[in-house]
Amino acid sequence: MRILIVEDDREAASYIRKGLRESGHVADHAGDGEEGLEMARAAEYDVLVVDRMMPRMDGLSMIEALRGDEDRTPVLILSALGEVDNRVEGLKAGGDDYLVKPYAFAELLARVEALARRRDPEAVRTKLVVGDLEMDLLARTVIREAEEILLQPREFRLLEFLMKHSGQVVTRTMLLEKVWDYHFDPQTNVIDVHISRLRSKIDRPFDRALLHTVRGAGYRLQA
Amino acid sequence: MKYRPPAFLRTTAFRQTLLSAGLFAFSSFVILGFVYAASAGMMLRRADTVITEELNTVMEQFDAGGISSIHTYMLERIAGGAGDYLYVMVDRSGRDSGSSNLSWPRDVVPDSDGRVQFSYNRQAVTGVAVSDKGQSEARARILLLPGGYRLLIGLDVDEEINLLERMTTTILAASALALALGVAGGIFVSRRFARRLDDINVVARSVKAGDLKQRAPRNFTGDELDELAENFNGMLDRVEALMHRMRHAGDSIAHDLRTPLTRMRNRLDQALLDEGSLESREAALEQAVSDTDELLSVFNSILSLSRLESGESRASIVRMDPALIAVDLAELYEPVCEDENLEFSSEIQGGMQIYADRGLISQALSNLLENSVKYTPAGGKICLRLRQNSTGWIEYSVTDNGPGIPPDDRERALQRFVRLDSSRSLPGTGLGLSLVKAIVDVHNGQIDLADGSGIPEEGGPGLRASLCLPAAPDADND
Repeated sequence: MRILIVEDDREAASYIRKGLRESGHVADHAGDGEEGLEMARAAEYDVLVVDRMMPRMDGLSMIEALRGDEDRTPVLILSALGEVDNRVEGLKAGGDDYLVKPYAFAELLARVEALARRRDPEAVRTKLVVGDLEMDLLARTVIREAEEILLQPREFRLLEFLMKHSGQVVTRTMLLEKVWDYHFDPQTNVIDVHISRLRSKIDRPFDRALLHTVRGAGYRLQA
Repeated sequence: MKYRPPAFLRTTAFRQTLLSAGLFAFSSFVILGFVYAASAGMMLRRADTVITEELNTVMEQFDAGGISSIHTYMLERIAGGAGDYLYVMVDRSGRDSGSSNLSWPRDVVPDSDGRVQFSYNRQAVTGVAVSDKGQSEARARILLLPGGYRLLIGLDVDEEINLLERMTTTILAASALALALGVAGGIFVSRRFARRLDDINVVARSVKAGDLKQRAPRNFTGDELDELAENFNGMLDRVEALMHRMRHAGDSIAHDLRTPLTRMRNRLDQALLDEGSLESREAALEQAVSDTDELLSVFNSILSLSRLESGESRASIVRMDPALIAVDLAELYEPVCEDENLEFSSEIQGGMQIYADRGLISQALSNLLENSVKYTPAGGKICLRLRQNSTGWIEYSVTDNGPGIPPDDRERALQRFVRLDSSRSLPGTGLGLSLVKAIVDVHNGQIDLADGSGIPEEGGPGLRASLCLPAAPDADND
């Protein structure tokens, strides 16, 4: 993937850049909003990572300008402002996801990869397949090795999210936000408990595990 | 330095009183002027009536015996002391008839009724010396008689004219006095006003300089300045409380962050010095990362709490069914309880409405549930309830049969960073319950801690934490 990092803090930018490169992506860097806008217009990027507060042109203005050009490249906003209103502002300006500083790199990477996936047209997909696990979104059924697995509604949504992002790391915070729509961090391991329940239904009775724990980051569903 | 007029001259009150003093002076001037016009008219009309009456008498003489009778009459009158009356008769060539006590006044132009007003020498008429120059004012009526004779019957109106002149002076003086009094009153009132405002300004300045203890003086009359002082003081109370809270929070943050930071530093130091294996260094680094996460979570809690308490973050409060929140949380925590070997149950009443921010209330309940999970020993029970209580409030409650919180400690448990002795050994920031309280405050609700479902002699009384929120009025009444 080709990723553009627009961030005025050089150290933070080089940290992200190094991390993204190590994960096999190509990452460019722009030092402020104006430069970022120029670079985003000049080349095709898969995802933009944009800091919210920058000199010359701030992140939100830059995104608005980009959306004004009908450029729909997914944008992940980085910000030190983490309140709900700030988040809403960022998404209104045209951002696709919002990550509050400070963050773990694993979180950033997971979100960037999730955003890139989002570009694929998935609205028409009614069936998700990962290995021998199949989910029918219309009939709301899950089948593995020709055996139907009964899931609670929330478990179904959890699995749906994991399948849509199969092969990618999804973090606990992402799951809490996207599956439960909660924007606070519970102290206990609620997500782990739900994952382990899901695992007991989709993995335990079968030979091969699909749902993997990624240490220090989150989970990955992979055939 | 540029000249600045004294404070009281710059006040709105002074300008207002000046304006009303001017208006008052002007209206008294108009009223007195009206009185003057009325009196002057009346006096002159009376003089004119007297003159007309005398003229009628003279004309009766003329009707009886012609010019000579007038002549005789006038001579008689003059001889008997004509008083204030003036008589002049001249023939066609302007020669005096000899029966006048005055020469024909010069430069008089009669109006259509033949009336005139003129000055004459009083001393020449009466022969009596008068104090001033002897000039006197008279009104008269002129009549043309057959044969070219011109007759003038007049009356001295000097006294009336003098009176009117004195009246004019008086009116002007009175108006000037009214203006002067108004201005003086304005100065007085505005100085008083300025002084009271000054008191408030003095306080404002010393507050600006950093003395938050100062308060504006009040006179408790309930007038607008007193009200201003009251509001001003109320504002200062709030500012002072916020400042105090901020300082306290700052201390607590320093205290709460210093411990884990020191621990982390020591651990990293140790890893640097150690000749140990790569694995042990890696372990130290991983531990440092998890310490950082913990620090960040404390930090985030502090921030959310401050935002909520300062009223800075306006929660997105909407009308909703409280059961939706409870059902989601029950579903989220039921497996957690099961994992911890706790029996979880929920009793959720539907069909009610509240105004709430889903995210915040969820967070509050999540904090309560996590507390229960954390403190209730394995084998215990946790129950999440939602109902409308007997007072009509919508009540969420989390009940457990864990150790509970002693009644004396309950108030304290809701404060920031307070960790009761019994919980010190367990992980936590001491912010959970204060965050719940702040969230409940934002919703104008109440939080209550009571004994739970436990048996005191066994594991302890348990804890029942309840959040009461006002029920939303029926949609029809909105």
